[in-house]
Amino acid sequence: MSTIVTVGAPRGSISLRSIVGRIGFLPALLVALVVGMSAVDPQFYGLINILNILRNASLLAIVACGQALVIVAGGFDLSVGAVVALASVVTAKTMAATAAAFPGNTALIIASGVAAGLGSGLVVGLINGFCVAKLKVSGFVVTLGTMSATAGVGLMITSGIPVYGMPDVFVKGFGRAQLFGLPTAVYAALAVIAVMMFVQRRTLFGRYVYAIGGNVDAAVVSGVSIQRHIVGTYVISSVLAALTGILLTAQVGSGQASFGGDRMMLQSIAAAVIGGVSLRGGVGRVEIVAVSALFLTILGNALNLLHVDSRLQPVFLGIIMVAAVALDEFSRRSKARV
Amino acid sequence: MSDLELSMTSESTIPKKSFPTEWLWRAVLPIALIALLLGFAAVDRSVLSPGNLLNIAQQTSYLALFAMAQTVVILTRGFDLALGPAVSMVSVGTALAMAGATAAGHDPSTVLLAGLGAGFGLGIACGLFNGMVIALLGVNPFVATLGSYNVAIGVATTLSAGRPVQGVPELFSQLFYGGSIFGIPAAISITLVIGLVLHLMLGRTVFGRSLYIIGTNPRAAAVAGLPVKRILIATYVLCSTLAALGAIMMTARTGSGEPNLGGSLSLQAIAGAVVGGTSLAGGRGGVGTAVLGALFVTILSNGMNLTRIDGYIQMVVLGAIVIIGVLLDRLRLERRQ
Amino acid sequence: MDVATDQTPAGPLLALRGISKRFTGIRALDRVDLDVHAGELHVLFGENGAGKSTLINVVSGTFASDEGTMHFGGEEVRHLTPQRARAIGISPVFQEFSLVPSLTVEENLFLGREVTSGGVLHAREMRKRATALIDELGFDLDPSQRVDDLSRAHQQMAEIAKALLGRVRLLILDEPTASLTERETGRLFELIARLKNQDVGLIYVSHRMREIRALADRVTILRDGRHIRTLDAATSTDGELVELMTGRKIDLLYPTIMHKPDKVMVDVENLTLADGSVRDVNFHARAGEITGIAGLVGCGKSELIRAIYGIEPIVSGMVRIDGLPYEFPAPRRSLKHGIAYFPANRVAEGLALSRPIRENASMTVLDLPAFARFGVLRQAAERIKIQGVMEALQLRPPNIERTAGALSGGNRQKVMLGRALTRELTVFLFDEPSVGIDVGAKLEVYEFMKRLVEAGAAVIVVSSELPEVLALSKRLYVMHHGRIAAELADAEKTEQNVLASFFREHLVAEVA
Repeated sequence: MSTIVTVGAPRGSISLRSIVGRIGFLPALLVALVVGMSAVDPQFYGLINILNILRNASLLAIVACGQALVIVAGGFDLSVGAVVALASVVTAKTMAATAAAFPGNTALIIASGVAAGLGSGLVVGLINGFCVAKLKVSGFVVTLGTMSATAGVGLMITSGIPVYGMPDVFVKGFGRAQLFGLPTAVYAALAVIAVMMFVQRRTLFGRYVYAIGGNVDAAVVSGVSIQRHIVGTYVISSVLAALTGILLTAQVGSGQASFGGDRMMLQSIAAAVIGGVSLRGGVGRVEIVAVSALFLTILGNALNLLHVDSRLQPVFLGIIMVAAVALDEFSRRSKARV
Repeated sequence: MSDLELSMTSESTIPKKSFPTEWLWRAVLPIALIALLLGFAAVDRSVLSPGNLLNIAQQTSYLALFAMAQTVVILTRGFDLALGPAVSMVSVGTALAMAGATAAGHDPSTVLLAGLGAGFGLGIACGLFNGMVIALLGVNPFVATLGSYNVAIGVATTLSAGRPVQGVPELFSQLFYGGSIFGIPAAISITLVIGLVLHLMLGRTVFGRSLYIIGTNPRAAAVAGLPVKRILIATYVLCSTLAALGAIMMTARTGSGEPNLGGSLSLQAIAGAVVGGTSLAGGRGGVGTAVLGALFVTILSNGMNLTRIDGYIQMVVLGAIVIIGVLLDRLRLERRQ
Repeated sequence: MDVATDQTPAGPLLALRGISKRFTGIRALDRVDLDVHAGELHVLFGENGAGKSTLINVVSGTFASDEGTMHFGGEEVRHLTPQRARAIGISPVFQEFSLVPSLTVEENLFLGREVTSGGVLHAREMRKRATALIDELGFDLDPSQRVDDLSRAHQQMAEIAKALLGRVRLLILDEPTASLTERETGRLFELIARLKNQDVGLIYVSHRMREIRALADRVTILRDGRHIRTLDAATSTDGELVELMTGRKIDLLYPTIMHKPDKVMVDVENLTLADGSVRDVNFHARAGEITGIAGLVGCGKSELIRAIYGIEPIVSGMVRIDGLPYEFPAPRRSLKHGIAYFPANRVAEGLALSRPIRENASMTVLDLPAFARFGVLRQAAERIKIQGVMEALQLRPPNIERTAGALSGGNRQKVMLGRALTRELTVFLFDEPSVGIDVGAKLEVYEFMKRLVEAGAAVIVVSSELPEVLALSKRLYVMHHGRIAAELADAEKTEQNVLASFFREHLVAEVA
């Protein structure tokens, strides 16, 4: 058939280009960065620095995975940074309160604290999802509102003062502990990435998230229930942000309303976008997002080691993010419409 | 003939029916404003004192300016997250330029010109960056302005080394803050003039008309031969220029260049525009909606301050108001269709 | 595809009674009845806007009807959702594809009906079943290919395969051949025959007489949302069907146009577009005549005139306007050169629906001193001019301050035509000018073209409605797969010749 003949020729070159664009360019940049930095500064591959990078990258990767899922479904979650802070203070407060009520019952204290922290994330996620899916307010505005509200609640609970009083086991035995030489946060991140990869590739939920982001009308006509799955993406995003808040709390040893914040939110979006998640929805893989989180963390670390003024660092983040999206847009445009 | 009459009556009844509800929807915000003022006044009389009303007007004039800037880009289905950091950047740049010119021994008017040149120059540069990335590279406005958000923060904190920049001359503060025209404080009169000019521009010029058409249907605008890319660039430049003007006015008030001046202004300005009824879907809104929204947000926070409501609770309230504002707007649109 | 053959209910498979549906004041369906029997192919026939697509959307659960009852397989069906419709064996194939571009063919086939256990997908099982189905249908589709990498015809095949996955008792096809080639159409017809043998009921929406003749058992005619009549296909004539559809005699439809061919206004030489939709095309259009371009959906005919206007990127070739080379076309410059384009999709590319008619009509003339000076609009002049233009075009009601979104399809097209009367133009490019408008408005559009041509303008009409281009044009080009397949004038300009040129081109491609 002539259609095959005529369409076949450009298709080959496009897929080659898109493979390079999708997978090739990020790992290549990452490798170049690592090799370059190792050559310039031996401090870079010191154990302490590597552990530091891995820990920070893990925390960012967890948040970015949730963010990526929301963006794939065609939304946005600006509230993740505020949820990190809220979960942190809620966890610490709950632990302190349980410790006062049941002194010595470490297991109960930790369990109640973690449950409360994740629960606070769940609540914010449900509110976001409800407003977007049921009330049909744009995700941007909803999460803008809950970002402000969540940050306010976090500050209200603590009056802006760090919360102490968590069991030693939680901080020293979990947050700052290392297993086979790696911080616990790394294992948590690997587990989250593995589960999310499975969800995206092998579950009905993951498939429907792609379908909704790719073409809502087609999903509706095919009988996919839209609202449930959209609520699901926001809940997962918020719960993962809460998990990051808890990990951060355990590592630092106190609950702080200043954790996360705008910076974490912006970085999670940057990681998702640089990791190939399309803002048009329907496209994006969490494992590439995780690589991009690692890349951003190493970049920040490299700039520090090179004594680039930390104030100037956002400039790099901003330009790289815009360039990544511009590149994506460019390859999309040059792809022939069939 | 009868066919024609039939179609006339059946089609023309539709808008008539919706007129009363449309008016009601429009009146929601002004009524809420008055209710809000009276409610706060019931708790604390001083809310309605002439001093406080003037205070509200003055505070509103800054936010209204930023909300107008934001409205202009929202009309085209965009938004400018970088507005706040741009304000910080302009504030620092203006103060540094004036401090430098003063140190070099230039006369006051040259110092002033140097400051304004640096301030507006930085603003226009930021707008050009946003507009070109969005219009020419086709990058989503969210990402593009998130990018320049980071860049502007970086520039502002680097230039100032993270500290307030002193050396803003008295003349500058006098001109943009202390002074008054016909007894109206400078900030209010500047915003009034800008608001009027902008209102005429949106309603009476080809540029203004194009903004609404592009926001309503960008594809149709391009097919009809409107220079969409050029207009989009101009829109972001206009937005950033207005932000720069606001930054200059705020710098005159604080008397120093502040690297954190913009803080949460991007979001506040979007909140003001959106609460006032500017549609994020583009093509709907204007100077009136921006001013009303800014007035609402300002009265809310002013009243909560005076009635000693915790600042953190205020954040929660503001968040809720933004969502409710957009929800109401959506309901109103649905009602109209 | 497994098909239920076990039950043969005595009554009709699908029975609709008194179905009504309103959209914000417009009555899309007005007490419509419809019966479809098992093993029957039932054609829905009607103009655009007659209610065909609303009806099939009701049957497939996308819209809920306001009134009326629906029985399927003898049981009453209430609160139908797309998911339930599929579960009971109703499978629609829509014209707007219900495919997710970023997913693969196989993922799309199973969308909404994935094989899972506990929420986990069985990829291998689905691959096996997808391959089996595609083989059985005889489509050359790769199940692992992403849908946005497919051609339109292949997307159509994926869409049909999607509808046939699982237990199908009623298949709904909405103009399924619109983007298929002759050979693919033939294969689809064989498939339809097999389905009928397996006692599947079919609802088939089409405008094409040939298809109706070849396939239909019964034909139901809809007009203005009402059921007009149901006829046996074997005993009805074409003229009867068209008359019932339009509510008037056919020969009234097209005006007699006095073509006076003059100098060549548009001359295209070896034109090739960036997306490959048009390749090496040579054609010309003269002042004083209507040049038609016919072809299947996706053959490149609209892309050709869109490229001349400047909204599709050109990679090589030359466009001459009035003898002068016109390089790098762009809408703004095209208008200055006197070229106007009237898009097929007036909602997406023509109008700003929530803005007033006045602003929509003057959108293309804001650069003229008559409408704006130094960037400031002359609002009074604008109002008077647009009011005059819209009155001349008989906009009903003639209030130019209403929003364009409040207008019917025909009046929307009039607003677009209004743009033609506000500035000096010599070349008019019409892309599917009669899509989505009622018969009365169609006639007015044709009269409008007649006036333009008789006043000496060059008019190019691109249309998928073969009778329309045949009747209007002086000379007719037929496009196929991005190339000009034939140029027909006067007596050679017949439906048979046009169809033959599709076919001939096809044979050539096949041999190659």
